[in-house]
Amino acid sequence: MTELAAMEFHPQPRAGEAKPWAFPAPERGTLDNGLTVLRCHRPGQQVVAVEVLLDAPLDAEPAGFDGVATIMARAFSEGTDKHSAEEFAAELERCGATLDAHADHPGVRLSLEVPASRLGKALGLLADALRAPAFADSEVERLVRNRLDEIPHELANPSRRAAKELSKELFPATSRMSRPRQGTEDTVEKIDSAAVRSYYERHVRPATATAVVVGDLTGIDLDELLGETLGDWTGSTSQPRPVPPVGADDTGRVVIVDRPGAVQTQLLIGRVGSDRHDRVWPAQVLGTYCLGGTLTSRLDRVLREEKGYTYGVRAFGQVLRSAPDDTGASMLAISGSVDTPNTGPALADLWTVLRTLAADGLTDAERDVAVQNLVGVAPLKYETAAAVAGTLADQVEQYLPDDYQATLYQQLAATGTVEATAAVVNAFPVDRLVTVLVGDAEQIREAVEALGIGEVTVVPAE
Amino acid sequence: MPMGHTATAEAGSGGLTATEHRLANGLRVVLSEDHLTPVAAVCLWYDVGSRHEVKGRTGLAHLFEHLMFQGSGQVTGNGHFELVQGAGGSLNGTTSFERTNYFETMPAHQLELALWLEADRMGSLLAALDDESMENQRDVVKNERRQRYDNVPYGTAFEKLTALAYPEGHPYHHTPIGSMADLDAATLEDARAFFRTYYAPNNAVLSVVGDIDPQQTLAWIEKYFGSIPTHDGKPTPRDGSLPDVIGEQLREVVVEEVPARALMAAYRLPEDGTPPADAADVALTILGGGESSRLYNRLVRRDRTAVAAGFGLLRLAGAPSLGWLDVKTSGDVEVPVIETAIDEELARFAEQGPTPEEMERAQAQLEREWLDRLGTVAGRADELCRYAVLFGDPQLALTAVQRVLAVTPEEVKQVAQARLRPDNRAVLVYEPLSAESAEHTEDPGIPEDPESEATVEAGADTTVDKDHNEEAAK
Repeated sequence: MTELAAMEFHPQPRAGEAKPWAFPAPERGTLDNGLTVLRCHRPGQQVVAVEVLLDAPLDAEPAGFDGVATIMARAFSEGTDKHSAEEFAAELERCGATLDAHADHPGVRLSLEVPASRLGKALGLLADALRAPAFADSEVERLVRNRLDEIPHELANPSRRAAKELSKELFPATSRMSRPRQGTEDTVEKIDSAAVRSYYERHVRPATATAVVVGDLTGIDLDELLGETLGDWTGSTSQPRPVPPVGADDTGRVVIVDRPGAVQTQLLIGRVGSDRHDRVWPAQVLGTYCLGGTLTSRLDRVLREEKGYTYGVRAFGQVLRSAPDDTGASMLAISGSVDTPNTGPALADLWTVLRTLAADGLTDAERDVAVQNLVGVAPLKYETAAAVAGTLADQVEQYLPDDYQATLYQQLAATGTVEATAAVVNAFPVDRLVTVLVGDAEQIREAVEALGIGEVTVVPAE
Repeated sequence: MPMGHTATAEAGSGGLTATEHRLANGLRVVLSEDHLTPVAAVCLWYDVGSRHEVKGRTGLAHLFEHLMFQGSGQVTGNGHFELVQGAGGSLNGTTSFERTNYFETMPAHQLELALWLEADRMGSLLAALDDESMENQRDVVKNERRQRYDNVPYGTAFEKLTALAYPEGHPYHHTPIGSMADLDAATLEDARAFFRTYYAPNNAVLSVVGDIDPQQTLAWIEKYFGSIPTHDGKPTPRDGSLPDVIGEQLREVVVEEVPARALMAAYRLPEDGTPPADAADVALTILGGGESSRLYNRLVRRDRTAVAAGFGLLRLAGAPSLGWLDVKTSGDVEVPVIETAIDEELARFAEQGPTPEEMERAQAQLEREWLDRLGTVAGRADELCRYAVLFGDPQLALTAVQRVLAVTPEEVKQVAQARLRPDNRAVLVYEPLSAESAEHTEDPGIPEDPESEATVEAGADTTVDKDHNEEAAK
């Protein structure tokens, strides 16, 4: 105890007075070509973030061509009517910019980040990519081969393999959501530049797109820059596509994806729930944080900090796709990895945590800490332009009002312990969870069957 | 008493300033004001990393870092996490070859709490450290190792290549995660001795950045840290210096269950903090830093023999830096095809040097990376500590971007000629176990932040990781 005597101790300090902070409100407008624009000035953020959302959802991919939206998204940065693929990449990098694009269930997203001083130049390149993509045969062919080369790597990665299996289990085979977002070997190999161009012509136009621009816009005439760049993009008007309803089978069951010799078992335990349009969402966010949001939440308190079975297990809700008529869906899941010999005991503890939560509920102290964290971290979380732009774009993509995030913080603060308990218990009912385990079936099967958490089937990894 | 420097923005620092102070017990303090957002970052770097570990105790610095979150004199159990998160803050700690850092980002009005917590564990960790937390965190760290290295394809590439690039007995021969056997062998007494040796105020730098009142902040630091006694006795770390070039090509072929053939290599490069290191950064960016780089254009676009090709710099101050090459082959392409192409490109680059356009692109990319790093209070706090601990001058953080922009084409050519040679690299080749599975590829198998280990997964404590459920995330 000599160490204790060495320093002078003081009581834990109290907080000072909180300074006001609010999630930024964007300014909304429309260009002459119908493009919706949200802008937000964030002083000091020298790297400007631009997000573009295209109403080109995965369910619009033609039958048998899963992955065409992904190839199109990637092909946007492979040349235009002004630049070859190599030149385009070089011009972007000359601006110090990065441009990423990916396709997901709600649509295609392009994310540009660039120092404010070179915003105009980079917006010009982005506009060229959207307005006049080259989609050259040879470049699309290369992207297709590249994509085919990626697939075995994804199958070899335990967390990706688990996600693929869970989607297949939860959704009916007819649903696009049951299949990998970026396609399978069978579908990707059929994609060519004609398929990409056809998907582009049908689903990409300014009238159904939105651009979000966030950063330090001091001294920048954004209207002029946009007019000269994205304003030049033309296209017909179109009716928004109807969003198909999402059905899922969450009958409690277990699928083991066999990976002989694996030293850990990857867990992904999930089901499908409603999205942010549901009034229960704030309470569910709060309850889910208490269950598995951090190292001091219920799951890690036992599985990590008491038992040492894992580096960390998290519970989360992730919106899959929303609809204007409130029929959207989200994935509610628990994910992590545990060492192979302790797979059975870890799952037993996990179910005990869920049962105890359902029986006894959350405590007021847990709820208070969760609210303080979720609301308190907002100014940290949204320090960068990219974080603000991402959330603003998510809101648009999910048919939510521009002040959704700001309102969410008020709702979290007003949510009580009883509501949070009910929401999380309803989100994770012990008999309605599909459990995917990527691990050594021979080592773990017997212990998992003994848990009684549903019928156990074993499938090969490849 | 602390003594202050005046805060005047240096040219090229983007208007950012930092002041330096030192407590009587030797704790160095760096403060930087920025009132744009009501947040404050606290960052504490201890000058100890895996390079200080001894034979048979690899992984101890990182295991110890986990123990720093298991309570201290006035903080029980997981209190460090609970109190910071309950105050609306986020926190973590990471361990690399050369340092261990602990950081909190707080709403500005909760800054004092973070300082109190860091002082409590710096001064009184051993009052709380016991067998129970030692045994528990040993299991957690072993599971971290399994998750990030042993259970993923190519997961141990970084470890293997490091062991090749730095000779047996060199302080950087092993990586911060350590071996399973050494993690098993570590004792509570090892952890206690480690704390007594390295966790001293005179072996640390504290930075506070953001919406702060510098006078008040300094008063709090004096109040909470000022009475922690200085202690010496830290052994001089083993010398990490090596000849400029390896002098031969080192090579290891791994036949393992991986989805595709891969060629990885580590080149021995100049130590960080020197103009040649900045020139090497520019050189590697031109060669393999993006989708307009020479290797990407050659291997991925033209030859179409690779799915991904990247070349990056692992900056190290106490030993030669490493130039990190990672190529995954496409289809059934064989490794020698890739290797020949790389050697051709490197030789041509060394002979001709960069074009003006390549210089412009690489420097623009590196500039944006610096703006990103300095664009958050936490990033700025970490960089200030880095330059203070490794190079003795935090102000260098604010002008780092200017030094990268000042690199000349001639310097780039020189470093390429001197260092990017076949006789100055360690090569790691992956061959899949079964021939039929040798047909495919994708993203680098090295961990995202290969040089450091964290207490919790990055970002997992405050945000939902979209990739948890994304089989197709890019």
